[in-house]
Amino acid sequence: MNKISAILALSSTALLLVSCGESASPDPVEQIVVADPGEGASAAADTDDVTLADAAGMMEEGRKAFAVCSSCHSVEKGEASSIGPNLYGVVGRKAGSMDDFKYSEAMTGSGLTWDEGTLDTYLANPSAMVPGTTMMAGAVRDEDKRAAIIVYLASESD
Amino acid sequence: MNDMSDTPAVEAKETPAKPERSRAAKWSRRGFIGAGVLAGGALIVGVGIRSGNPVGKLKPLVANGDGEALINAWVKIGADNLVTAIVPHCEMGQGANSTIAQMLADEMDVDWDNVAVMDAPADGNYVSQHTVRTFIGAGTIPDQPGQASFMEPTYDGLFTQVGKLAGAYITGGSSSVRTTGQNGIRVAGAAAREMLVAAAAAEWDVPAGEITTASGTLTHAPSGKSALYAEFASAAAEQELPRAPTTKTIDQFKLMGRPAPRKDIPLKVNGTAVFGIDGGSDLPGLRYAAVKAAPVVGAEVASMDASAAKEMPGVLQILNMGDFVAVVADSYWQAQQALGTIETAYTDSENSDASTDAMFASFTQALDDAGDTGGNDKADYGDATGALKDAAKAVTAEYKVPYLAHAAMEPINCTAWVRDGKCDIWTSTQVPLMARDGAAEGAGISADDVTMHTVFLGGGFGRRLTPEYTNQAARLAKATGYPIKMIWSREEDTAQDFYRPADISRFSGGLDEAGKCISWNNVHCSDDEPGEAPLIEFYDIPNVLVRGAEVHNPLRLGAWRSVAHSQHGFFIESFVDELAHEAGRDPVEFRRELLAKSPRHLAVLEGAAKMANWGSALPEGHGRGIAIARSFNSIVAEVAEVDMTADKPRITKVHCCADAGYVMNPNGFAAQMESGIIYGLTAAMYDEITIKDGRVEQSNFHDYRMMRMEDAPEIAVQIINGAPDNLGGAGEPGLPPAAPALTNAIFAASGKRIRELPVAKHFT
Amino acid sequence: MTINLTINGKAEAVDADPAMPILWVVREKLGLNGTKFGCGIAQCGACTVHLDGKPIRSCSTPLSAADGAAITTIEGVGGADQDTDLTPLQQAWISEQVPQCGYCQSGQIMQATALLKETPQPSDDQIDAAMKGNVCRCGMYGRIRQAIKVAAGTAEPTVWEEQA
Repeated sequence: MNKISAILALSSTALLLVSCGESASPDPVEQIVVADPGEGASAAADTDDVTLADAAGMMEEGRKAFAVCSSCHSVEKGEASSIGPNLYGVVGRKAGSMDDFKYSEAMTGSGLTWDEGTLDTYLANPSAMVPGTTMMAGAVRDEDKRAAIIVYLASESD
Repeated sequence: MNDMSDTPAVEAKETPAKPERSRAAKWSRRGFIGAGVLAGGALIVGVGIRSGNPVGKLKPLVANGDGEALINAWVKIGADNLVTAIVPHCEMGQGANSTIAQMLADEMDVDWDNVAVMDAPADGNYVSQHTVRTFIGAGTIPDQPGQASFMEPTYDGLFTQVGKLAGAYITGGSSSVRTTGQNGIRVAGAAAREMLVAAAAAEWDVPAGEITTASGTLTHAPSGKSALYAEFASAAAEQELPRAPTTKTIDQFKLMGRPAPRKDIPLKVNGTAVFGIDGGSDLPGLRYAAVKAAPVVGAEVASMDASAAKEMPGVLQILNMGDFVAVVADSYWQAQQALGTIETAYTDSENSDASTDAMFASFTQALDDAGDTGGNDKADYGDATGALKDAAKAVTAEYKVPYLAHAAMEPINCTAWVRDGKCDIWTSTQVPLMARDGAAEGAGISADDVTMHTVFLGGGFGRRLTPEYTNQAARLAKATGYPIKMIWSREEDTAQDFYRPADISRFSGGLDEAGKCISWNNVHCSDDEPGEAPLIEFYDIPNVLVRGAEVHNPLRLGAWRSVAHSQHGFFIESFVDELAHEAGRDPVEFRRELLAKSPRHLAVLEGAAKMANWGSALPEGHGRGIAIARSFNSIVAEVAEVDMTADKPRITKVHCCADAGYVMNPNGFAAQMESGIIYGLTAAMYDEITIKDGRVEQSNFHDYRMMRMEDAPEIAVQIINGAPDNLGGAGEPGLPPAAPALTNAIFAASGKRIRELPVAKHFT
Repeated sequence: MTINLTINGKAEAVDADPAMPILWVVREKLGLNGTKFGCGIAQCGACTVHLDGKPIRSCSTPLSAADGAAITTIEGVGGADQDTDLTPLQQAWISEQVPQCGYCQSGQIMQATALLKETPQPSDDQIDAAMKGNVCRCGMYGRIRQAIKVAAGTAEPTVWEEQA
């Protein structure tokens, strides 16, 4: 047994979880050398497929997908806005209209009202729809996830 | 926040749980020196276990300027009279290096502003034997049957093979201050001071006893002579080594026991601290690697389709390394983007079908098979099963805890530069020598040709005790020819951890007519590290049987802050609480009776209860819970207060009382308690690692939640210095009581007994 | 593509993919390592910097958003000398002995700096709301809260007891 596998074995053999017999080969199995760092193809999209059975399932998917958004946005009624505005009741609301959040001028001046369509466009690429928006994180490229989040947001309202 | 007692209480009266534990005593200061370091003539105090004098070899590594003289391996005095503590531990937030410097400064009579800290170079000569010995002394010993666990081979194996592998430069086990500090640096400091005094006495031709030291200055009052330490540094090195340097007694402490500000904090506030991820950033030609390992333990990459990745901007190389795939690009982001497009197929392994449900079902089966008396005995005294038959009341309960990830803030990363038969490594690791060996193996060179660069760790918690990632980075650097900065995504970090083991633990307990516990029978699944974790000898229960059942884990397991105490603290203190309830007794009163023969435990229990004003009225829907645990030679009791009036528990306050023998830096110690409590409560409230098709299902902080500002309770810490000659750890002992204090509080507030973590599962 | 921006008061022309997150631009192109990578999806706040004075998660904010804008990182939050010209908030961070591992602290300090600029004397609820996006795995939330209050002048600095 070579040295590294001995060390790996030392750190986990008792739990029999690292296979000592076949220690990882130091050298590549396959190595593709791309000679010219190319221009071109843009960022890959997030292609996680979300299979949705029904509206309830969709709402649940949306709730889960929203977890990523929740570090900035609350959906609890009455809770203060934080990094992003509180989104309770956002569907049907005029863009840039929460008193306790300091929006970009771009957002307050956008004249948008959030509905399924505008949210879908916005979430797909926020700064394309509202150039100058301060929401620069949170683009949701996956169409199904986006739809689920919107369904979920629609459910979080009076 | 801290309330330190003026005078330490009487020395520890408790009998060690097992005879093995007393082995640590053999490594007393005197014994250690007598063991050969000074007798062997080595100038290194505290590390020179090996024969021969390593100073010559070490000197180039630690003497970085002219005019510096090496007094011993752990103490360096510069021409500017700055004293440097050279510490063989990594700074991962625990503040131990700063505390060790504090101990050195005090022993040497140097002002805090004139002391610096330097991590020891990753060189085999710095092997932290103290740490290894203490671990072995604490119960992880080779001749203990059935004690196999991941740490035993790590520590014992390395200990016995240390000459070959030289891998025990370890930061873990809450051990730095109480081993390296107490038995090493203090002796080194005292020796250095005595040697300086001897040198001055010779030069001035005065009796050494007339020379005093203060603020880095030697003074001979009768003659009016005075000199800075630096002036005598070289002469001191020529002095005869003190056989048994006299360390200070508590009444002589000037810095020890005081809240000296940590040395590393200013760097972490102004943004200049260099972490692993920052190291080597200015290397010429540096490129970035994103990696993804086979997601199932035992599986390998069967094939990859990189046709899309090849075309992406900035991509330089795409590699199938057998156990992982990697993209090397001009920027990390480009590498990460390209990696996301690679379609990979994996080979099957025995774990490919693993699931959480099947795993727990197999655990349950193992416990069923063990029955009332089967499995590996870990403690057996009195007659637990017999006493249970005679009991007035029998109580049974089963508890369950999930796998957990470490989720250190700094994702795993390593920068490797391989060229001309040499390799340079920048990485956050708790085991620099093992990490060095991992890189050497990956680069196909000797460990002596690998240079480890010291960096701060963005959290460790036991995650950084493995060398696989330096191996990965070195392999990539070697294969591509670039200096490589490899960074794991948070998703990779979550999916490729060495996890805290899941466990199920079953108890049956017997109460007599008076409601006293007379029988305790426990069987659980995890391997215990340290072995004392499931033991309860501090409770006065006459008939005890504790057993372990062997199980198969489909994930890699590792040390997670407080290790097996993290599970058993919850199990034991939940069951004690249930016994108290069944006995119709108050949880503090019930424990007080059981701790009658353990005075230090009792003082800690009562301290926490008093802090919390235990027994006083709380608002409707609020509750208090208490728990106590002994781990890493420290005893900690915590009272949690919860508000159950909303739809989920809110932890409002935690009172913590701790006896770590003697606390060297009360503020630093309190910070460790606060940290351990939040770490423990985070896991208890929110987290589990689950498995589907052999893969970890969690990926990032949205599905592996961290406690946040708004969830964090207020924490108060009180310290008892109950055994000044028997120091305990700080980094881990705050954790084990946190979860049971919380669930016991939930029970007190609502009558709902949580027997399965995380708590949040029960409140969706 | 070249993006013109101001970084810590200095004009820079950055040649990079406009979709590249500011975090990696700052670290790799501008050589400023104080801003940290933690999660990559705006969940932890370790990468928090200011964009035109507002705290943003630089791991999830594209370089294009900084076109013509001013970025401030931990390296530029204080005065001319990064080592010693500390803001009152940074000084409070030291006096309260806030950091442990320190990895999240640049982000915490940038977030808290923005909070105090907007709300010079924040309430506990306002601190919660502003800071909840910043994870500290070492769990130093109590000290972070206290340091913010000390800097805001709403709490006295903690006095650590001097007993041996």
